[in-house]
Amino acid sequence: MPQDMREAASVADGGVAGATADPTTRPYLSARGLSKRFAHVVALADVDLDVFEGEILALVGDNGAGKSTLIKILSGVYQPDRGEISIGGRPARLADPQQARALGIATVFQDLALVDMRDVAANLFLGREPVKWRWFVDRAAMLAEAGRTLADLRVRMPSLTVEVGQLSGGQRQSVAIGRAISQRGRIIIMDEPTAALGVQESRKVLDLILRLRESGAGVLVISHNMRQVFSIADRIAVMRHGRQVGVRRRDETTPDEIVKMIVGVGVA
Amino acid sequence: MTAAPIAAGGAGHDGEDALLDDAAARDDDPGLAAGKPGQAAWRRHLARRNMTILLAAIAVFALFAVTTSTFLTEFNLANMARNVSLIGIVAVGMTLLFVVGEIDLSVGSLLGLLSICLGIMVADWSVNPWLAAAVVVGLGLLLGLFAGLIRILTNIPSFIVTLALLTAYRSLTLIISGERPRPADPQGSFFDFTGGTVWHLPWLAVWMLAVMAIGGFVLERTRFGYHAYATGGNLRAARQSGIRTDQVKLMSFGITGALVGFAAALLFGYLHVAEPTSGTGFEFRVIGAVVVGGCALTGGQGTIFGTLIGTLIIGMITTGMVLLGFSQNVGDVANGALIIGVGTIDLLLRRASRRHG
Repeated sequence: MPQDMREAASVADGGVAGATADPTTRPYLSARGLSKRFAHVVALADVDLDVFEGEILALVGDNGAGKSTLIKILSGVYQPDRGEISIGGRPARLADPQQARALGIATVFQDLALVDMRDVAANLFLGREPVKWRWFVDRAAMLAEAGRTLADLRVRMPSLTVEVGQLSGGQRQSVAIGRAISQRGRIIIMDEPTAALGVQESRKVLDLILRLRESGAGVLVISHNMRQVFSIADRIAVMRHGRQVGVRRRDETTPDEIVKMIVGVGVA
Repeated sequence: MTAAPIAAGGAGHDGEDALLDDAAARDDDPGLAAGKPGQAAWRRHLARRNMTILLAAIAVFALFAVTTSTFLTEFNLANMARNVSLIGIVAVGMTLLFVVGEIDLSVGSLLGLLSICLGIMVADWSVNPWLAAAVVVGLGLLLGLFAGLIRILTNIPSFIVTLALLTAYRSLTLIISGERPRPADPQGSFFDFTGGTVWHLPWLAVWMLAVMAIGGFVLERTRFGYHAYATGGNLRAARQSGIRTDQVKLMSFGITGALVGFAAALLFGYLHVAEPTSGTGFEFRVIGAVVVGGCALTGGQGTIFGTLIGTLIIGMITTGMVLLGFSQNVGDVANGALIIGVGTIDLLLRRASRRHG
């Protein structure tokens, strides 16, 4: 175990990992021709995207390129005007985030959706508290399960009964990710998980993302940080002006090429 | 007392925490912990706050016991316990409303309306008081749900909705009562179990402690309680997590209305008369009690234990000032000053705690 951990850590520091997405397997989450407009603004135009289990797919693009709209559609917050989504090979309609979660798509939004005044355990089980006798929260089961979830992720918390408002940014991120995992997310979507974090905490969250991949989950992560993208992603999808302008395997591209795709110069 | 199910939250789980830290320590992963102390500053602050207001309550008690000769008499203590009980019962509902991020200003007028309804049923129509009390509790529930429904359907802030209801209920009370009180013939078990005493303890106080024990348990240990804290703490997160926040809020309004009905029955049971003006200014004392007890208008915060202490302080000041020879109005001025003081201290503490946390 510790050996794997050091490898994972070195990867996060900028090392090289073998791409684990196998192109012969079927994507768990697949979107075809997604379009969405808000009034006169075309937010998404005819976007295709595949996310496989056991891979990290980075979604990059300039502000307003449609990244957030895309993940909000994939997580059930928005409904597309046109296009299809299939999950596990079956066509799916995602009316709301709960439905997406039930199908194995869990999202960690940028605001993390935590209740600051409640403790770690209550936040991990927000809205699906284990109960006994139908009405009563099974606090013991909740704490045991919360402890297991965080131990599996090798996340350390000062305590399960500490209010999340008292935690550091990275710890809060871990609680939100832990919640996504404990909802049996096969695909975890994250919107700029390290945007608000310092260097140390960012590295820990990146380690956590790598461990998610090790555990077999697929991760779709929005990031602006090209160094981070190249240190963790297996594949990189680029958005520009509401379109998906290309997907590259990490080991077959360069930061230079990706940046050119983002700004739209020099490449088709 | 009622504190037991509430205070147990933090201390009981140290075992699990130790295990968790052990498991994490065995990996030589630096982990995500930045070496925070084992107990949250906020929880410590909360415990400290509860201790502080408990001490304040004892201080207020001691002050009135020393400065007046009548405060410690059995007559006064029983009388005070009755006043406190009515505030405390409704304050349980108000705590719930504050926790979900709402408020109900109409509880005082509703108390007047419901006690007049009860008086008319018992005095004018000779309805059995037990049955009439049940009807009034049901009516309170319906009117509470009505207020909640307006709040949710129109999205008008509950402050405005219930302010309108405050005026409407009071006028309605004057209209249907013909501005006449309804005295009752205090015969039968109903009056024993409301206005009477059990081992020197007024039944009202027993009822309040029961309501508080149940309320504390519901808030701290049931799914509904967890959802209430989540709804008031972060509405969007609660919704995203599949919590039916509108339903939680609606139920909170309904429960508060039913508790006002219960308080109206108890009030009638010990006064033996229904007054069209009763409950005037009552909402102020109830809200004062929950604010002193640690509820915040911003939602997601508040405990029944805090509310109990807040109720005791407000009740003691209201009666104590009268015993000192001031009018009840002076007592309310003192209470008002207290609420502003407590609110300011809370705000400062919260800012300080955020800066360090």
